Amino acid sequence: MKTDPHATIRDLIDKTLAGGASPEDDQSLQEHLAACAQCQEYLSAGNRVIAGLGGFSFDVDPGLEGKVLRSLRVRAQQLETAQSNRRRIMWGCVAALVLMITGSWVVLEFGNLIAAELNLPPMQVQRLLLALWVLPSLCLSLLFPALPLLSRREERFL
Amino acid sequence: MTSVGRVSSDSQQIARGLRERDIALLHALVEQYQYRLVRYLIYLLGRRDEVDDLVQETWVRVLERGRSYDGRSRFEPWLFAIARNLTIDHMRRRKTWSLDTALDTDDDEEQVPRSPASLDPSPFVLAARTEDAQRLAQSMQTLDFIYREVLVLRFQEDLSLQEVATVIGAPVSTVASRIYRGLQTLRALLDGAKHEN
Repeated sequence: MKTDPHATIRDLIDKTLAGGASPEDDQSLQEHLAACAQCQEYLSAGNRVIAGLGGFSFDVDPGLEGKVLRSLRVRAQQLETAQSNRRRIMWGCVAALVLMITGSWVVLEFGNLIAAELNLPPMQVQRLLLALWVLPSLCLSLLFPALPLLSRREERFL
Repeated sequence: MTSVGRVSSDSQQIARGLRERDIALLHALVEQYQYRLVRYLIYLLGRRDEVDDLVQETWVRVLERGRSYDGRSRFEPWLFAIARNLTIDHMRRRKTWSLDTALDTDDDEEQVPRSPASLDPSPFVLAARTEDAQRLAQSMQTLDFIYREVLVLRFQEDLSLQEVATVIGAPVSTVASRIYRGLQTLRALLDGAKHEN
């Protein structure tokens, strides 16, 4: 079966134009091109296509840049707000946890002392302190992370 | 400073600015890359009407995802990859696409929708400024976007084969074969048009 003797060189030309040829490929291509008008024409047609691609000049709406910058400012503001909300919620959680831990410690350390001072059963005092301090702070520490979800649901109903 | 060093220093500066969501830096980037982004999206879509919206979405995504750009490679491939992903998502979302979409089962089995025909005049015909560009313009519209996009990225944006591969998320061999096929198709059409004239 006869094959086109220039087919390999044409593949090499395509490879060179695409920028994927090795220096050895390049050298053998140059040697062939020096003596082959047909392949020279193939190469110049490829170069003409590439040059032709550079002959397109697309119009850009002059107002587009302004629109892009406005969207960027609005989005940056939204992201900044969301970030500061997240930070506030995180600190809220930390504060509630600290309160809860401190509260538990106070209940354990001073519950008996306060009960003796007020002449009340220690268990009753501990329960009262738990109800007034530890439980609210536990609820707050659980509620803070859920705040964004609640506010989003509220926005949907409005 | 060498060009590699300058690219690296520019990229690092861009990465730092994007991490800090520096609006002044974004403004400069928008100015610098606007035309190139518009051109890439026109090559990708083969139409003009949705390009402006996608440009806006791309820059907003750059702002949102800026922290994922580490500055170790050039900014352009990262920017074009974002624009490409948004465009492909946009194509998939469109209802009209679901009706007449043919899935591309190319050699790399990437599944991307093809561009539907637009009733507007071809953006390539409108943008052709040279004789060869005018000859190419009609063919550009019919050429599949997978070939158009590698041609613009390689020959207009001057990205390396590796960078083009990063943008389109395909192996370098696929990029190279698409460039060959794109060039061959356009070369044949250009020759045909030349012989007709």
